[in-house]
Amino acid sequence: MASSAAVPFWRTAGMTYITYSNICANLVRNCLKEPFKAEALSREKVHFSISKWAGGKPEKPILRSDTPGV
Amino acid sequence: MAMAVFRREGRRLLPSIAARPIAAIRSPLASDQEEGLLGVRSISTQVVRNRMKSVKNIQKITKAMKMVAASKLRAVQGRAENSRGLWQPFTALLGDNPSIDVKKSVVVTLSSDKGLCGGINSTVVKVSRALYKLNAGPEKEVKFVIVGEKAKAIMFRDSKNDISLTVTELNKNPLNYAQVSVLADDILKNVEFDALRIVYNKFHSVVAFLPTVATVLSPEIIEKESEVGGKLGELDSYEIEGGETKGEILQNLAEFQFSCVMFNAVLENACSEMGARMSAMDSSSRNAGEMLDRLTLTYNRTRQASITTELIEIISGASALEAAK
Repeated sequence: MASSAAVPFWRTAGMTYITYSNICANLVRNCLKEPFKAEALSREKVHFSISKWAGGKPEKPILRSDTPGV
Repeated sequence: MAMAVFRREGRRLLPSIAARPIAAIRSPLASDQEEGLLGVRSISTQVVRNRMKSVKNIQKITKAMKMVAASKLRAVQGRAENSRGLWQPFTALLGDNPSIDVKKSVVVTLSSDKGLCGGINSTVVKVSRALYKLNAGPEKEVKFVIVGEKAKAIMFRDSKNDISLTVTELNKNPLNYAQVSVLADDILKNVEFDALRIVYNKFHSVVAFLPTVATVLSPEIIEKESEVGGKLGELDSYEIEGGETKGEILQNLAEFQFSCVMFNAVLENACSEMGARMSAMDSSSRNAGEMLDRLTLTYNRTRQASITTELIEIISGASALEAAK
């Protein structure tokens, strides 16, 4: 079947398994009917601020959020 | 922390009251100051009354904070206990190797953003520093990823050259898997590691939180270890369906394991934070109550002393007039 060097398309695109499974979960959540759909989508909200450090100094923090500016 | 505020309040209080040494003084420093102030000095009851009002307000606030923490704890506790089932299959499959010796370890320290939660953040930082000492050495390096403002402030002081990422504001929205998985993804992409050690406070009960370390290995290390034998050596006895190789599956598993373990760790840490805040606010309210009792006694003494002084003046004035007659 597949050769040992075959990787799934998403890994060659740079995604990790985590991102892949999250996208699949999002697709499943979007299949729900209305009242449950809003509840389920509210469980997907992301908000945190991450900053890389180089040599003991923090660089500018990046805000990863679905609701920027809040 | 609230305790320090009360101790400071107590020290400020004593020089101004000075009428008599109050029994049960908490800090020895205050009693030194007091020795020079013995003697009768009448102080305005207004000052004592103001202090009583502010202490009562503080007591109300800490009681309210305790109620809030208790209700938040109830909400998160169920989720934390349910999320334990996420990583248990991984440990059953891959085993737990906290003592593994690797070249690049990354210590992920979980802490809270807000304060007034007791000592949980300092225990987590202590464990992280101990891990650093354990794993550092020639050819080995340890990097920190810090989640939460409190640990960032503490670690910044002496380990700032080893920090590679800091994350804040994670608790702004209710915790969910999507958030934690994006965070895990960021960590995976930005930090090279052979082993990830996640340090968090595991929630055992409302008064017991133990700092725990969860270890997640990178797929290459798992391959290496599976050749050595032991639990990981049995991986070969599993059949692999689909067109994937063992290496790919191990990589997927390792990433997913990290994400699940992070999710559980974040929830447990949140529970522990709420529990610690509950007990800290509880002891603050109790201390405020005791302080209020002592202040009331002082207030009454001061009031009675001033009344007595007035009476003495009146009576001595009256007897002086009589004697003069």
